[in-house]
Amino acid sequence: MTEPEVKPEVMRISWGPQHPMSGQTRILIDVDGEVVRRIIADIGFTHRGIEKILEKRTFIQGIVPIERMVMADTANIALGYVQAVEEALGIEVPERAKWIRSLICEMGRINSHLYAFGLQVECTGYFPAVFLWTTVDREVLLDLFEKLTGARWSYSFFIPGGVRADLPEGFRDEVKRAVKYLRRRFQDYWDAMVENPLFEMRNRGVGILSREDAIRLGATGPVLRGSGVDMDVRRDEPYAAYGDLDFKVITEKEGDCFARLKVRFHEIEQSLNIMEQIADEIPGGPVRTKVPLFPRSKPGVEALSRVETARGELGVHIFTDGGLKPYRVKINSPTLRNMYVFERLAELDKVLVADLPVILYSIDPWYLDCDR
Amino acid sequence: MDVVTLIWLYILGLVRWLLHEAPLQVINFIRSLPTLIPELLKWLWDFIWFNFKPLAQIIVIPGLAFILLFAMIAVWFERKFLARAMLRIGPYYCGKRSGWLQVIADFLKLFFKEFVIPDDVEKALFLAAPVLLPTIPALAITLIPFDSNWVLFDAGGLSLPVFLAIAGLAPVIPIFAGWAANNKYTIIGSFRTAYLYVSGEIPLVICAAASALLAGSLDLVDIVEAQKPIWFAIPQFIGFLVFFVGLILEAERTPFDVPTAETELVMGWRTEFSGVLFGFTMMAEYVSFLGWTLLFIVLYLGGYLGPSLFGVPLYDHIFWMLLKLAVIVVIVVLIRTVYPRLRLDQTLRLGWNYLMPLALLNLFITIILKWGLMI
Repeated sequence: MTEPEVKPEVMRISWGPQHPMSGQTRILIDVDGEVVRRIIADIGFTHRGIEKILEKRTFIQGIVPIERMVMADTANIALGYVQAVEEALGIEVPERAKWIRSLICEMGRINSHLYAFGLQVECTGYFPAVFLWTTVDREVLLDLFEKLTGARWSYSFFIPGGVRADLPEGFRDEVKRAVKYLRRRFQDYWDAMVENPLFEMRNRGVGILSREDAIRLGATGPVLRGSGVDMDVRRDEPYAAYGDLDFKVITEKEGDCFARLKVRFHEIEQSLNIMEQIADEIPGGPVRTKVPLFPRSKPGVEALSRVETARGELGVHIFTDGGLKPYRVKINSPTLRNMYVFERLAELDKVLVADLPVILYSIDPWYLDCDR
Repeated sequence: MDVVTLIWLYILGLVRWLLHEAPLQVINFIRSLPTLIPELLKWLWDFIWFNFKPLAQIIVIPGLAFILLFAMIAVWFERKFLARAMLRIGPYYCGKRSGWLQVIADFLKLFFKEFVIPDDVEKALFLAAPVLLPTIPALAITLIPFDSNWVLFDAGGLSLPVFLAIAGLAPVIPIFAGWAANNKYTIIGSFRTAYLYVSGEIPLVICAAASALLAGSLDLVDIVEAQKPIWFAIPQFIGFLVFFVGLILEAERTPFDVPTAETELVMGWRTEFSGVLFGFTMMAEYVSFLGWTLLFIVLYLGGYLGPSLFGVPLYDHIFWMLLKLAVIVVIVVLIRTVYPRLRLDQTLRLGWNYLMPLALLNLFITIILKWGLMI
């Protein structure tokens, strides 16, 4: 990246990659005392060429590399790709498989939101207590993943035509027990952290993104809903089993970091409701249709799939040329759009150095998702 | 006579002395031992008896051993306690399950680590700052009375202002250290320190002045003695609270650890220190915390006075002081588990908009109280 020139009245600081809170990215900030005048995100710092890798893999082999985009949220990312492949190849999915997909997606969403919540709380200066609480509590979800898919993190469970396996014996009861446990823990989080006046002081009125700006800059996911825009792909264009499920789209009007945190928090509650509904009402039937190991595509087919990941809307666009592999896969990732919003926030609102990590983690960045 | 003859004569004399005189002398010495040893022991006993208390006062309390021990115990307790709050176990392998050896192990590790001096630093200042940092609060601790005649440094009845003057020097060092390190993070951190101390120290000084006014003396021993009827925490409740917040602010503990905000400024003005230099800066935090806490105990919690039952004070002893210290350490560590860090502007607003007027109100109430008592 070419660095823009530094104005004489500001000091340019390289915020990362060797910063405790930056993660594996590089962000340049121009500071004037405590005030941040400009944020320049080094987009492409962790570029790994996932789109190009997908062109070199067959349709089913592509599931593994694309999951590496967001490790905390592999289910939703993989679902975006698998749905696009299904559309491109014309594969039907049985009803039960769709419900299982929704179940795993919601569990993944909670997992990812827990991570984001813990990091945003840690940014405000809690000794990493809450971050470790969330890390411990997500073990419940990881155990469920392990029981269902055999892996705790990247499970490659979704394949074109359904899911790899049916629910094991007694799984529905375990889901209900996990939901009960997590509900109790979230009440603890709410009491100890969100209703803490000092925590509110650090988050309220920080990094305000108005409704108009959120739409203009193309924000997505909890950032967009935190600014009061009622938009969720799960409801607007139902995929998997979301058309049959009953859930609310959470919005907050304020558009500050606290609103984004609260959106995530209430979304976790909605996800828990969805998990319970699925455990109660999941229909029977087969979980996959027969698909050849190396399916051959028809030439010149375009398929687009939109899914709501934990960070926002993911678009996967596949072009085929009649071979065993996709001709081109274009991924529109949510963090890229939110990072753009993050860069502009220094112009829209007064940002202090102390607020920078809070704002950055309120958009829930996943740099590998941003740079693909 | 020539030189060779002289040497021979000397050697012969030596041999004669060895054969005739020396055995007698040895025998005499051995004979006198039963009377000599008790005398020697008596002298040693007298030496220890007369010098023990001053020696103990210098070496043990409030000397280096006390400060180091306090830092070690506080760090150990903090690590174990925070680990519990985080659903962890904390140090486990060094020193059995309690992990008490871990602090010593960490200190040794820091001590033997290479410390890096970056290019373009102001070398003298960069190296002097970590040494000065714990020294200045340690100097102030010498003024604290641990008993009515247990004060290491007699400031001639002016120990409170001298304490405040010495402790007031402390914030200068982080500012210089941050500037000397020639790093952008350290510079932001050191200027935050400057803002923070200005907003925190003035309310503290006003509160301390109110205490001195109520006691009618600037001497810390007199202030403690004046609390025999009732601890000043009750007549000066506002000052008590303001001083408590101010002491956390001065020690840069969690709600106000703005200058070393790890998630914002890497490590604030400490960023460039490594190895034993970093160890000293971390120790300085605890020493300064210890100094202000001891002053807090002396001013508001009755110092070495025991709790009084029906107006009759219990046995006054240094033990009470250490007990009160332990209680305050626990409270301050507890605060670290449940509160996030405030922003710089919020901290300054707290200092100027709330602590300062409250401290003045406390001073005003004290004046009226004192006036009423005099009439």
